[in-house]
Amino acid sequence: MSEVLLQKGAKLPDSPLSRFKRRTGLVLAVLALGLCIGLWLTPYQPAQADFLNRLAPPEPAHWFGTDHLGRDIGTRLLYGAFWSLGLALVVSLAGLIAGTLVGLLAARSGSFPDALLMRVTDSFFAFPELIAAVAFAGLFGPSTVNLVVALSLVSWMKFARLARSLGLTIGERDFVIQARLNGLTDWLILWRHILPNVLPSLLVLWTSSWSRTILAVSGLSFLGFGVQPPTAEWGAMLLDGKPYMQTAPHIMIFPGLAVLVSVLAINLAGDRLRDVLAQTR
Amino acid sequence: MPPNDPVFQLEGLTVRAGDKVLLQDVSCDIQQGGMLCVIGESGAGKSTLLKAVQGFLPATCRRLVFTPSGTDITGAVPTHPGLPQTRWVMQDPLAALNPRLTLGASIQESLYRQNLTVQERKSAVLAALEDVQLGSEFYSRFPGQVSLGQAQRACLARALIARPKLIFFDEPLSALDALVQKKIARQMEVLRRKTQTAYLVVTHDLGFAAAYADKVLVLRMGQVEAYQPCDEFIAAPASPYAENLIEAARSLGTLSHASEAA
Repeated sequence: MSEVLLQKGAKLPDSPLSRFKRRTGLVLAVLALGLCIGLWLTPYQPAQADFLNRLAPPEPAHWFGTDHLGRDIGTRLLYGAFWSLGLALVVSLAGLIAGTLVGLLAARSGSFPDALLMRVTDSFFAFPELIAAVAFAGLFGPSTVNLVVALSLVSWMKFARLARSLGLTIGERDFVIQARLNGLTDWLILWRHILPNVLPSLLVLWTSSWSRTILAVSGLSFLGFGVQPPTAEWGAMLLDGKPYMQTAPHIMIFPGLAVLVSVLAINLAGDRLRDVLAQTR
Repeated sequence: MPPNDPVFQLEGLTVRAGDKVLLQDVSCDIQQGGMLCVIGESGAGKSTLLKAVQGFLPATCRRLVFTPSGTDITGAVPTHPGLPQTRWVMQDPLAALNPRLTLGASIQESLYRQNLTVQERKSAVLAALEDVQLGSEFYSRFPGQVSLGQAQRACLARALIARPKLIFFDEPLSALDALVQKKIARQMEVLRRKTQTAYLVVTHDLGFAAAYADKVLVLRMGQVEAYQPCDEFIAAPASPYAENLIEAARSLGTLSHASEAA
């Protein structure tokens, strides 16, 4: 009988979630360490031109070759990770936080504010992500800041919808009723009971949002609406290499691979997180 | 207070949803430290009764008196949730505990209205855990790490820690297996005698009612079928429906068993 099995001092089995957290933490630490070591070991600067060695294919001195100005592509990829992944991280985190706030407020604040907030959300949904960012860049000029603002403006709605629907279901659960009977304030119930139970699902959504935003940042930079050359953003590097696609394809291949691998890795991690959460529930 | 005075008195409670009557003219009272069992089939309005008294459903009554909090209501039951100085133990203990909070944190919430220091709260929780025969290691366990019976004990601790004068139980045993049911039923009885807390228990289990209740209220389709002291109810049920219930319980063997257990 389980009542007996879990008696004093019994060691509890490792939950899949804590294992996932530990492994993900390890992988992230290794990646961050690799990035730092790479930046520390490389003898080049990301904007350091070498006109005598332009368009060089991969060779021992330049593992990933050089671009049309003779800049080391490997070094630029390392620096570019901060731009591509970092900007997308900022945008998707902004979306996560704003969307969660809007969704939970809508779920907990009565029918009129709920309807109002959700209609605003719906109207933001009407803007296609990339078109909205292009329009924003057209209005305010292409720059990194404008890119972040534009993408953030259209990245929060999915979170708001999910947070609202989960907030409504969890708000009906017995433990929330108990908290209300015990006189906890609405804010405390939101913070202690609803948010922790909503957050895991939102984090799964957030991983997919992060990876899609990486594509959006790189895509917009490639189109010239985002991060501007000579900044070593992966999309901007693709744009740099476009004229030499026939003669020196490695200039485009490596940044493209970097985008592909990082998006794939984040998506796979998100899938795994979803599976783990489904198990623990 | 002399033990014969009712702490909880309900007269003529009526609950309507649209033009459908969910509960009609229900009256009952509970003595200090007494136990009233509410019995009836699914949909008879047992849980509706609890929700209405707690203010989760719009309801009207001729009179509702709860002496410990000085409550004396005539007409509409206030919709602010929670009669003061009462607690509610629910059917599914795992649904009633936040999966992301430790048992200790969940139990502490029952003391939210009282201004206690962190240390006072913690020792109160440990004492309450001991009362329901859970060790101190359960303080930091999560609901997913304990059995259903242990979770229901934690819910019982959460109800008792605030020293309420009345606890509502909504089928507290029906999610558990028979052996755990029996243990927890005994524990409930011991704690009732020790703390002199009144119990209002909604249950399917006639055996449980026969063993522990002072009075029995039988509901059917929102109407009161019988409201009698327990012994009288078993010996001479007030209505044919109640008689059928007892007959069914006898033939299933649940009635005699639990009576022996008591």
